[in-house]
Amino acid sequence: MGIFSKGEFTEKDWNHLLDRALPDAKQEMAKSPYDSELGFNMAKDARRVINGSLSLEDFHKKYSSSLVKEFGKEYVSETPPRRTGKGPQWAMVIDLRKCVGCDTCTVSCKAENRTPPGMSYNIVLETEVGQYPNVARINLPRPCMQCEKPPCAQVCPTRATYKLDNGIVVIDNDRCIGCRYCMVACPYGARSFDFGKSYEDEMIGFNDVTSPEYGVDRGERKKGKLPEGTVRKCSFCYHRLQRGEEPACVETCIGDARYFGDLNDPNSKVSKLAASPRAFRLKEDLGTGPSVIYLK
Amino acid sequence: MNEPVVYTEKMKVPSSRLNKMERVWWGTLLPVFLIGVYFIIKGFFMEGMASTYLTDEVPWGAWVAFYIYFIGMSAGSFLLSTLIYGFGMKKYEKIGRAALLSAIVSMITAITFIFLDIGRPDHVFNSIIYWNITSTMAWEIHFYIVYILFLIVELYLSMRGDLIELAKKKNRLAKFYQFLTFGKKEMTKEDEQRDKKRMKILGIIGIPLAILGVHGGTGSIFAVLKAHPFLNSGLFPIIFIMSALVSGTALSISLYVIKNKVLKKPIDTEMVRSLGSLLALFLAIELIMEWYEFLVGTYGLQYEEMQTIGHMTTGPWWWSFWIFQMGFAMIIPLGILFLKRTRTSVNWILTASILTILGVVGVRFNMVVPVFIVPPFEGMPTPNYYPNLSEWVVTFGLIAMFLLLYTLGEKLLPIEEVEYSENGVIEHGK
Repeated sequence: MGIFSKGEFTEKDWNHLLDRALPDAKQEMAKSPYDSELGFNMAKDARRVINGSLSLEDFHKKYSSSLVKEFGKEYVSETPPRRTGKGPQWAMVIDLRKCVGCDTCTVSCKAENRTPPGMSYNIVLETEVGQYPNVARINLPRPCMQCEKPPCAQVCPTRATYKLDNGIVVIDNDRCIGCRYCMVACPYGARSFDFGKSYEDEMIGFNDVTSPEYGVDRGERKKGKLPEGTVRKCSFCYHRLQRGEEPACVETCIGDARYFGDLNDPNSKVSKLAASPRAFRLKEDLGTGPSVIYLK
Repeated sequence: MNEPVVYTEKMKVPSSRLNKMERVWWGTLLPVFLIGVYFIIKGFFMEGMASTYLTDEVPWGAWVAFYIYFIGMSAGSFLLSTLIYGFGMKKYEKIGRAALLSAIVSMITAITFIFLDIGRPDHVFNSIIYWNITSTMAWEIHFYIVYILFLIVELYLSMRGDLIELAKKKNRLAKFYQFLTFGKKEMTKEDEQRDKKRMKILGIIGIPLAILGVHGGTGSIFAVLKAHPFLNSGLFPIIFIMSALVSGTALSISLYVIKNKVLKKPIDTEMVRSLGSLLALFLAIELIMEWYEFLVGTYGLQYEEMQTIGHMTTGPWWWSFWIFQMGFAMIIPLGILFLKRTRTSVNWILTASILTILGVVGVRFNMVVPVFIVPPFEGMPTPNYYPNLSEWVVTFGLIAMFLLLYTLGEKLLPIEEVEYSENGVIEHGK
């Protein structure tokens, strides 16, 4: 007990209380027809596997013979195969011939990521080129390019923004200091700063959920609470990918102009489209290597 | 003895330590500073970055411009002081400590500006805890800390002898000086020699620290941005250092001349003239560099580069370029310092220096605003940015803070070498 605890229980006392309530492990194990000692040893080593001091292969090697002896061959699992090869490299293909410039991607992105006023992870640039009568309207949807060599991650002073193995560039809002260096370094203008604005005035319940990005529930959106004061960006809807869903903009595109998939898989649709002669990437001369591929 | 004592204006003077000019000085600057503080609390702490006119399109604005402005002043003043302490240029010795003091105060002001510009001041130490070694900004934050400590040590060493003398006096501040000297009683010849040697070493280590680390590094924060071809050139950090030298020299001249004019003390005309020609030299080198920066930039005919130069010279910020950068901080002072009639006059040199100090504000704005106004893609709307009232008030508050801190330093510390008057009383800064 500490000096200021005034006779309160400490963690040790609580643990002791819990230990008393728990059934005695030895007695419980004795009821089982199988070897108790083996069970205890395996539990001990399983903890070592979890904390990294024992490899999973060694664990299986150590116990496989005694397990086979105890349970028989059909109940014993083999060492799980180590993941070989690379994981997915998420990429997006946008067919500009299919894009009608309806801005559904922008709207669905705002709804999905609940971005505040003035902030949009995805925008559609519209320009008119040529002179009458030879005019054309060009639509260019622009999410974050999730660059292979992201200039934003290179300049971040705190490593708050970094690249995941699956190719997505993410931001740790808990670490970001809000210096906006990444924003001026991004050649695609794909980053936004959270100025703390809200739609609450015109949309009841907007503040109920804050930035569902990365699957982190930050609760109610409030003044001075994260992610206010930090930089935010498109994450290919990482939280949706984790649930096995496509990014919101891909799912809602009315012309089916967006494709999403794994570039490492040669049979995926995006791999095939990326190899098309129509494929190009924005500002390729900068050497950033965007993961968003356009079809002209 | 029957006559009543008449308290005349003259007799009151000793009781009040401030003369009239100083009272006006403090009386103007303190309110400006306090209003600035009020706006910092109301804007920055209560509303966050929403209190500025910054947008996602132009994420860096006035405070960044003033931050690099004061960083430049600091590096420039410090490099001037290294001429004295590192290379033994005795003729500038009178402004040595003042240059070090203004370097420290400029650094403090610069860091305050950039501290106000970050969105999460509560996360600021993450840049030290999670140092990203590929980030120029992270390097700068580390360099700034080392540099400030370094400047303080150097200033302290340069005035240690005088501090010991002051600690012997019997007045209110003696305790303060005793604390600063760590109770050291006497400065021997050996101590003096040792301090001189230390100063020389520090001055020389300080040159790469200030040039490559602090100022070239701050220029590199901008120069590494390949998203902005106008900034992304090898010459940019060097121009940055050059304009630092320009503003630092101009600041040192102005501080010295104005201070001595106010205190009605003789001005070392020779030194001011010499500093004036130094300023002219730096200005001329900067002009040549600017010329090539624009020549090479324009020749590439690249969209972003042309847009940036267009915004700078003919856009809504044209006056910042033509009047401030080219007029006040280049052509006019160069003219003044070139013509024989004006380059010998202290008043004209002071005018040139003050114009330069004003003009460099424009130079720093042009490094930030016109560059970020250019959208990354054709077809995106062209944004604009002007600092709003809150940003201006805070800016003026911090400039007042800079001047007040400098004045306080001059008053409390033996910034001018102690002179021994005839009756043996030590006077300083009077």
